Amino acid sequence: MNLTVNGVAREVESGPLTPLLFVLRDELELTGAKAGCQQGGCGACTVLVDGEPRRSCLTPLAAVEGAEITTVEGLGTPEDLAPIQQAFTHHYAAQCGFCTSGLMLAAQAYIDHGGTDDRHAIQEALSGHVCRCTGYVKIVDAVAAAARGDEFDLTVTAGSSGMTSGGVR
Amino acid sequence: MPAIDVLTPTSPDEAVAAFGDGTGVVVLGGGTIVVPEMTYGRLKPERVLMLGRAGLAGISRSGSTVTIGAATPVADLVGLAAPLGPCAANVADAEIRAQGTVGGNLCAGEGPEAPRGDLQGALLALGAVVRSAGAGGIASEPLEDFLPKRRSRLALDVSFEEPAAGAFANLDRPHTDDYTALAVSGARAADGTIRLAATGAGWWGLRLPSAEAKAGDPEAAGAAALADVKLADDALASAWYRGKVLPVLVRRVLAQLKEIA
Amino acid sequence: MKAVGARLPRYDGIAHVTGRSTYVDDVRIPGTLWVKALRSPHHNAAITKLDTSPAEKLKGVHAVVTAADVPLLVYGHLSALGIPGDEPLLADGEVRYQGQPIAVVAAESEELAMAAVEAIRIEYEERPALFDIRKAFDPDAPVIHEWGNWYPHFEGELDRRQIRKGDIEWAFDKADTIVQGVYRPAAIEHVPLETQVCQVVPEADGRLTIYSCTQALYFSLGVVCAHLQLPLNKVKVVGGTVGGGFGGKVDTATETMCALLAQKSGRPVKWRWTREEEFLCSSTRAPWHMEIADAVTKDGWILGRKMLTLHDSGAYARFSPYGLTKHSFHHAGAYTIPNIHFDGYVVFTNRVPTTAMRGFGVTSVSFAVETHLSRIAVELGIDPFELRLKNANRIGDTTPNGVVLTDPSTVPTIQAIADAIGHELTAEYRTTTRDTRSGAFLPDHLVSQLGNPEEH
Repeated sequence: MNLTVNGVAREVESGPLTPLLFVLRDELELTGAKAGCQQGGCGACTVLVDGEPRRSCLTPLAAVEGAEITTVEGLGTPEDLAPIQQAFTHHYAAQCGFCTSGLMLAAQAYIDHGGTDDRHAIQEALSGHVCRCTGYVKIVDAVAAAARGDEFDLTVTAGSSGMTSGGVR
Repeated sequence: MPAIDVLTPTSPDEAVAAFGDGTGVVVLGGGTIVVPEMTYGRLKPERVLMLGRAGLAGISRSGSTVTIGAATPVADLVGLAAPLGPCAANVADAEIRAQGTVGGNLCAGEGPEAPRGDLQGALLALGAVVRSAGAGGIASEPLEDFLPKRRSRLALDVSFEEPAAGAFANLDRPHTDDYTALAVSGARAADGTIRLAATGAGWWGLRLPSAEAKAGDPEAAGAAALADVKLADDALASAWYRGKVLPVLVRRVLAQLKEIA
Repeated sequence: MKAVGARLPRYDGIAHVTGRSTYVDDVRIPGTLWVKALRSPHHNAAITKLDTSPAEKLKGVHAVVTAADVPLLVYGHLSALGIPGDEPLLADGEVRYQGQPIAVVAAESEELAMAAVEAIRIEYEERPALFDIRKAFDPDAPVIHEWGNWYPHFEGELDRRQIRKGDIEWAFDKADTIVQGVYRPAAIEHVPLETQVCQVVPEADGRLTIYSCTQALYFSLGVVCAHLQLPLNKVKVVGGTVGGGFGGKVDTATETMCALLAQKSGRPVKWRWTREEEFLCSSTRAPWHMEIADAVTKDGWILGRKMLTLHDSGAYARFSPYGLTKHSFHHAGAYTIPNIHFDGYVVFTNRVPTTAMRGFGVTSVSFAVETHLSRIAVELGIDPFELRLKNANRIGDTTPNGVVLTDPSTVPTIQAIADAIGHELTAEYRTTTRDTRSGAFLPDHLVSQLGNPEEH
């Protein structure tokens, strides 16, 4: 079966019902997408299929034949980070990092479809993604910043919007 | 492990032919229910019928009749009027809605720990008719007649008359990927008849005839609704809790319907 | 010091956002076999028959390991802290919680491993199970642990963690009112995004390399070597990025069994728990039952506290005696209570053994004591901030276990909270400090508990 992954045409041997997650991780050795629950409940496996975020653990290979798949490895490299990757770094939006690739790809799609820095809209768009470490505030900060087109200084970490000194919001 | 026969029809006729009488066939719409069942080894199909390219998606209108193809993603229903629109918007999250299909949702089997099929309630309230294929050929029947045999039929499309008014009320849960613990849908037809249905109050969507009979008195209707359901404990909520909330949702739906001229 | 106060980027931040952080499941070793476990479906049962030969005979199955294969089956993970072991690595003749592992299998694929697990012939004789820690003390409760239904090996072979200070009878006699409360936080799952996962590679010279998601690498190394009776230099544990642990990845739940399978099969093995296994079989934060009775005066002095804690350890002790001990140190909260009567029990039930989770032992008691203080404030009709400031720890106050406080921050913290939310305090409470008690803040009954911070 043929599909394009991160801009490269690939021919894969996995069976037609193999979830895309395992085709990516096991056959193509792209381990950025993670197996958090294998039942679509957490978003750690999300990749872009023709620019749309989809749970790769739920997507049978045959359903994406001929499609363009984008994984975190295709977003950017350490030498050339995409804005969303810079945003997540600068805003300290990752702790253990396990949810990060799925979240960034969903966020990228949100921004590509005209998503703004409206925090409610961001939360709605990313509502299927679970993070157990960060408490989400800095993730939303990062996505909002990327949606605005902020410039990022990667040598320092930004403060959190939810924790300004002087009290509780 | 024996190889699985994967069928990928490219037209509705091919899909019907491939399904045959359904024996030994597992239907895969978006895959949001079937794929994890396979991953966890609970489902070991011999033949899988993938509907993704069978031309069964799309919403069409003919006068006041709306027809929704079975392979239409749940996401495509989100903008529709109540009850179907808000019901669809409440299903999981954007990624799941984009992948899961109306047919897959309608035909979902009982989940291992909680009821599935959120859209059944909204479509029951709309008096929907399901056109399906299977043993005996293609048939059209009311959704409540289709539901008990949904596991042995191939849903092709579902249609309903646009109501004069529609309403939806649900138990809102913080984590969006859960199936709805409890929801009530209502619709008022042009002739004033009110239909009410619930999901999460039984293993599949149920009409609430006792509540409908008292639709003029929301308080009484709410209380009467309990006679139409057999509540049980499950992973999402206890029977006790559902029993407390069901009358409230019925009252809310009736109040919403009343407000729409 | 360049780091303190600086906003430094994470050293692994770039790796996280480019998908390059390596978690255990990302480690790829050619020839790896897949592991699945046979787990008890029963809460409490004797194993009357166990025959793994049908699994061993299946094509593609390379090893099956049971209790009989483990050189040291029972090893107390905290034996260095005086907590003896009670939990077999794999069930030995009986099971005490649903999900307890009985056998593990290594096979060429996950499906084959699962088929092998299903092929194992096993028979059980169910026994009455105990789920409610309050019922563990009933004379007719089933006895579900060889030590009895609660842990009996605190120092001096006491069956409870016991703290006594001052004269509790005096306090209860003197009190204007007794305020009582019962607090029962439920179990909590850690739910890290990364499930338990382990990869073991048997090296050519008889050593083992273990890729582990443990939060406590050297601790896990010790546990594995103890069970396998291997010297520490024979095992290399490779830790790395953990996809969330929160206390649930200290138990060393997979490493030893994978090591045994790697030894027996001579092949690398990987065990990746499913999300369902995590929910059904992984350890949780414990449920607690806490009863507090405070002897209080009508103007808000807490003269004494009587407290009973039951901690649900699940089927085995694991770290629970340690968690309860930490809990007991904090049962007066950040407040000075001169007369104390505390008893805490580690109680066994037929639930999954409980373990550490953020603030192990202490979150329960904090929740209980703070809620209880609010309850006292409501019952006495006193401002809840001022009730707390009155009784707050100050320099020179002593804790229930005799520690003289030199640097308590209770007073400034409570004042800062009141200020942050715009809660007005009366002058006396606005100006009190954490300095050694005096004047209105030193009633007669607190004089004798004062200690000398310089001597401490």
